[in-house]
Amino acid sequence: MADIPDTIVLKRDRDLAKRSKELWVRRALLLALTVFLILAFLNVFGQRSTTSSTIAPAATLTIHSPDTLRSGLIFESRLRIFATKEIKDAIVVLSPEWIEGITFNTVEPSPVGEASKNGSLSFDLGHIPQGQEYSLYIQMQVNPTTFGGRTQETRLFDGQTLLLTSSRDVTIFP
Amino acid sequence: MDIAIRAVVLYVFVFLLMRLAGRRELSSLQPFDLVLLIVIGDALQQGLTQSDYSVTGAMIAVGTFALLQVGTSYLNFKFKWVRPVLEGYPIVVVQDGKVIEANLKRERITVDELAEAARLQQLASIDDIAWAVVETSGQISFIPKKSS
Repeated sequence: MADIPDTIVLKRDRDLAKRSKELWVRRALLLALTVFLILAFLNVFGQRSTTSSTIAPAATLTIHSPDTLRSGLIFESRLRIFATKEIKDAIVVLSPEWIEGITFNTVEPSPVGEASKNGSLSFDLGHIPQGQEYSLYIQMQVNPTTFGGRTQETRLFDGQTLLLTSSRDVTIFP
Repeated sequence: MDIAIRAVVLYVFVFLLMRLAGRRELSSLQPFDLVLLIVIGDALQQGLTQSDYSVTGAMIAVGTFALLQVGTSYLNFKFKWVRPVLEGYPIVVVQDGKVIEANLKRERITVDELAEAARLQQLASIDDIAWAVVETSGQISFIPKKSS
């Protein structure tokens, strides 16, 4: 037999004694990576939009927006208000969780007025006649340093009268 | 701080990915591998610094990688028990001109590929090889038989 090269241990490097676990570790890592990618494919890490509707006697609010996001993502939220009864002065109030760590790039159509309502963001949309729909498009981007879970609350008022409240859980992955 | 944490997470991820890829992939650098490396680098960069274009941000990212690399090599040097985790051990695939099939299979190397690698080292036949070892870097080192 040829001289064994220095530092080569035949039992370990040729017979692979006690090295079967290396293979299993590699397989486990491969499995973990596959599971991660399957979860990504199944939209676990975002950003497919979901639709949630809240129905009240006077109006229906439908929010179409991703509930799973990642830091830095650009996305769109669409708020549709269907006026079952006439809404003389529709006001949408978004809780701070809508905007904290998230940049609003644009809101279309531009609301009649914007204000802070007890710490929340208030959009005055104006008059919505009975049987008509109002769509509000908000283009947003998650700030790169933002991550974690939050509950976004949306309230719809007619002037000072609360018509409905809607809550959505949003998760932002780093 | 944020960039440093991201750099640590990505370093660990890339490290595990390289260990997972196996030595075979590490040793070869075909044109496609080169393109893939650039694409991986670009994808990592976006997750690392995102929209931070500052020199400070770049210095934090590169500094963290450098520190982790030095730390890893220090651990590897200082503690023997860490070596199998960080680097692994070499694997003998040929002894005295005989191919050890099980070890080749483990490293996903065919006999043809082994023969090709041997020819690159001016070894015409596997019979001429005393030892062939897949090193931790993924390269195969050949020790020819001593001529009588």
